[in-house]
Amino acid sequence: MLANYIKIAWKVLLRHPFYTFITLFGISLTLTVLMVLTSFIDHLVGSHYPETNRNRSLYIEKMVLRDSSRSSQNSGPMSFKFLTQYAKTLKTAEKVTITSFFRTSNAYAGAQKIKLNTKYTDAAFWEVMNFTFLEGKPYNEQNIRNGELVAVITDDFRRQYFSDLSEPVVGKDIEVESIHYKVIGVVKGSPPTRIFSYADIYFPYTVPKSNYEQDDIMGGYVAVVLANKASDRKAVQEEFQDKIRRIPLPGNRNGFKYDIAEVGCAPYVESMLSIFMEGGPQVKVIFYSVIAFLMFMLMGLPAINLVNVNVSRIMERSSEIGIRKAFGAPIRTLLMQFIVENIFITFIGGTIALVLTLITIYLINQSGWIAYADLTINLNVFLVSIGVCLLFGLLSGVAPALRMSKLSIVEALKS
Amino acid sequence: MIRHLFRLIWNKKKTHALLMVEIWASFLVLFGLASMIVFNVSNYVEPLGFTYERVWAVDFNNNQDTTAIPDKVNTILQRLKAYPEVESVSRMSSNFPFSASTMNNGVDYKKRHVMAHFYTTDAAFAQTLDMPLVAGRWYTKADLGGKYKPVVINRKAQEALFVDENPLGKVFSNFRVVGVIDNFKAKGEFMTNAPAVFEMMDGKNTWDKIYLVKTKPGTDAMFEARLVKEMSTMLVGWNVEVNPLIDSRKNQHNLTLVPVIIFLIVCSFLLINVALGLFGVLNLSIAKRRSEIGLRRAIGATAKNVSWQFVAEIWVLATFSLLFGLLFAVQFPLMHVFDLASGVYIGAIALAVGIIYGLVTLCALFPSRQAATIHPAVALHEE
Amino acid sequence: MISLTNIEKVYRTSTIETLALNNINLHIGQGEFASIMGPSGCGKSTLLNIIGLLDAPSKGSISVGGQPVTSYSDQEMARLRNQRLGFIFQSFHLINDLSVLDNVEIPLLYRKQISAAQRRQMAQEALERVGLSNRVKHFPKQLSGGQKQRVAIARAIVGRPEIILADEPTGNLDSVMGNEILSILQGLNNDGATIVMVTHDEAMAKKTHRLIRLFDGTMVGDTTLTLC
Repeated sequence: MLANYIKIAWKVLLRHPFYTFITLFGISLTLTVLMVLTSFIDHLVGSHYPETNRNRSLYIEKMVLRDSSRSSQNSGPMSFKFLTQYAKTLKTAEKVTITSFFRTSNAYAGAQKIKLNTKYTDAAFWEVMNFTFLEGKPYNEQNIRNGELVAVITDDFRRQYFSDLSEPVVGKDIEVESIHYKVIGVVKGSPPTRIFSYADIYFPYTVPKSNYEQDDIMGGYVAVVLANKASDRKAVQEEFQDKIRRIPLPGNRNGFKYDIAEVGCAPYVESMLSIFMEGGPQVKVIFYSVIAFLMFMLMGLPAINLVNVNVSRIMERSSEIGIRKAFGAPIRTLLMQFIVENIFITFIGGTIALVLTLITIYLINQSGWIAYADLTINLNVFLVSIGVCLLFGLLSGVAPALRMSKLSIVEALKS
Repeated sequence: MIRHLFRLIWNKKKTHALLMVEIWASFLVLFGLASMIVFNVSNYVEPLGFTYERVWAVDFNNNQDTTAIPDKVNTILQRLKAYPEVESVSRMSSNFPFSASTMNNGVDYKKRHVMAHFYTTDAAFAQTLDMPLVAGRWYTKADLGGKYKPVVINRKAQEALFVDENPLGKVFSNFRVVGVIDNFKAKGEFMTNAPAVFEMMDGKNTWDKIYLVKTKPGTDAMFEARLVKEMSTMLVGWNVEVNPLIDSRKNQHNLTLVPVIIFLIVCSFLLINVALGLFGVLNLSIAKRRSEIGLRRAIGATAKNVSWQFVAEIWVLATFSLLFGLLFAVQFPLMHVFDLASGVYIGAIALAVGIIYGLVTLCALFPSRQAATIHPAVALHEE
Repeated sequence: MISLTNIEKVYRTSTIETLALNNINLHIGQGEFASIMGPSGCGKSTLLNIIGLLDAPSKGSISVGGQPVTSYSDQEMARLRNQRLGFIFQSFHLINDLSVLDNVEIPLLYRKQISAAQRRQMAQEALERVGLSNRVKHFPKQLSGGQKQRVAIARAIVGRPEIILADEPTGNLDSVMGNEILSILQGLNNDGATIVMVTHDEAMAKKTHRLIRLFDGTMVGDTTLTLC
């Protein structure tokens, strides 16, 4: 029975190549946009190299200090000292790393200028993040304690800085802002969209200019906490907030008197969204309504279009419907035929979209638009897309089919 | 005839409902896109107001060094000026041209409240960025020490605060105006030409450590490397970073252009999609209306009349949808959504309306030609 | 009024060539009420189409009011149809989405220099003539077959044409309504309109002035009737 439906569907599609093209174009376009979008979001928030532990990590990236009337506030990353005291000591966590946000700088190889981003980290950074070492090894506690001028660089930076790539660069010297460092390891770089792990050069926090000795509660550092497993994060958060409550209040920071200190400790998505949501509920409303509008347009327009084309096509086929009805086909069968037809074409569209997405993702990855971009279609994205595919098929199949089933035999035959 | 078509379309509104929704939605999408484009283009055509080509922003950070900062800040200025490759040097706040940071403050004059961008600069600023003054002069060291702080404002700020008064020598919010410049779009060509106030940096300021260095033509990265090396040798423990403004400008442009381009690509695909759908629907509807076409031909319509009718019909249809779309779109200029000038929205509406009419015409052209070729004798006897 | 000389019409498809009309010579004078009869497929509709300038003959010439029109452009033909001819069809061909009044007005839309008020006025008059002045706001779906055909007649006469061409006007109607329609046509004829009607109803044909018989594309009879 189903095979028969599909056979008829196939014939119908071939009979109207132009409308088939329109329909397929709409479906595959929409799904491609959707899939590229999801895979981009997945790239942004999913657990990927080198932050493969993101699903069991918590991010401490912002402190907010307010006065009791809430009229003014200071917010930003914290000092190394503060994080050592409050985050590093978490008992429920498996590991905690303290790292600076990346900072831009320049290096000069002869007359060539290399723009780079630097990061100061502790030794635990290399355990929390899963970097692949192409050469050498990370710096350890010993290196840090001795204040050694060592650095881990990315393969990208290696290529730019060293002209001779045939020999290993570990042990070689690099100069950044008049300080000479010894390369201790080379890692495969992280995309700049992963701000907690991204940099071109990683230094131990004890090298000069890292400001780790700063005597302040705020500064340039953030912490990533690794819980034993994803479900343990709740406990870690509780322990951390418990510590935060014990920050001596009220305090005074460079003349700013504060009575409230808030430090978030949240999974990645939440901590990223909190940056967007800083502007309060109004910004939230605008943010969500813009997203909703975009999604509505992105999905709605092609959907209306499909329904539109489908309705016209079915009306065109009304005499066929009339004949089938006259020969006794029940409405259910007719409905089935149209629904199967639509699902069938949606799946073809889905397959085309899959190919288009693969091409688009490949192009994005290759274009260098985002360094180290690693967009992929993962199973989830694909399944979601197939689900959406079905929804579309039914949405654009049921409405016209219902309308069609209301046509009386006589009317269907006549027009 | 037009009235006849309006009636025809109006009576068929149920059949056309989906088509209208589609055109309506396309209009809204286009309106969004056009707003973005009109906004950016209208900003782009405004002159930038300064030159940046040979200017570098050199950023100093003293980190943990807290000894004798005022002296060091001064030494840097003298040392930079001493380079033969350097034409002029000016120190300013962190919101230097094309940087990511901004500083806004409200100022008042005669009950007029204006939000303005604040830049803290020194006496050499206008010279370094090659900014001509339209009235008065740029401030000098001699202006400091008075009761009021000397400021230079841009023309936008002048218009907003003083309307048609002569601003020179006037005092607002503890600032005394000494000069007026034309435009200053610090974030680059795509920035709105907004009110700006340039406040003079006094001797107490040690925290602003951005130095704008205008180099002589032909200066290259070799000098940049030397500069960084010598500066960081001179200032142990300090960070020194050089950002040629040309590069920062490119970043600012990308920040504006990348979303526009992505939106543009997605929109064009959506519109192609809609256009194809519209085309298909029109094609089918003409096939359905063969008898009507035959009749109209029989009672005196020329082939041209018939094909014109179908184009006109889709215009009428588009007009209905657009009227509905306009109900939404006019809310933007009326409610001042996103704080854009009404002109931007009106321009965007005009552009979107134009594109919609163009698009539907394009879609109707082929089907309407086909309609004209329908032979009345055949069409009338089909049933 | 209308003269057809040596008219021949051939339909060609890639495989078959059909001779639909063969050497037709026909003159229809002013004020005549002529009917064309013949079995299905004999070419009577083709003949009416050619008389109505809807279809061009393969051979021969046509003149309307002494003017040869065979070489007319599309635009000239359209103007001629609009001003001098009126059409009535078996299946009415009313536009369902327009009211009765709007339907009747259509021919006037293709004329220049007629104001909207004038159009309204003329359409009203035409509807009064067919006895439907109380149905102007109705839509075709709300009318019976006879009423629909009367609307179609009003539409045919609204432009005050000299010639009315009716293609089986009573074909879709029962005999009562058919007679009603015929009597309207007779009334129009009495007022001076020239009418050519295609029919396969002998009784209807008998009520006209002249009976032209077609068989397989050839004219086999042309009788003037004096009965009525």
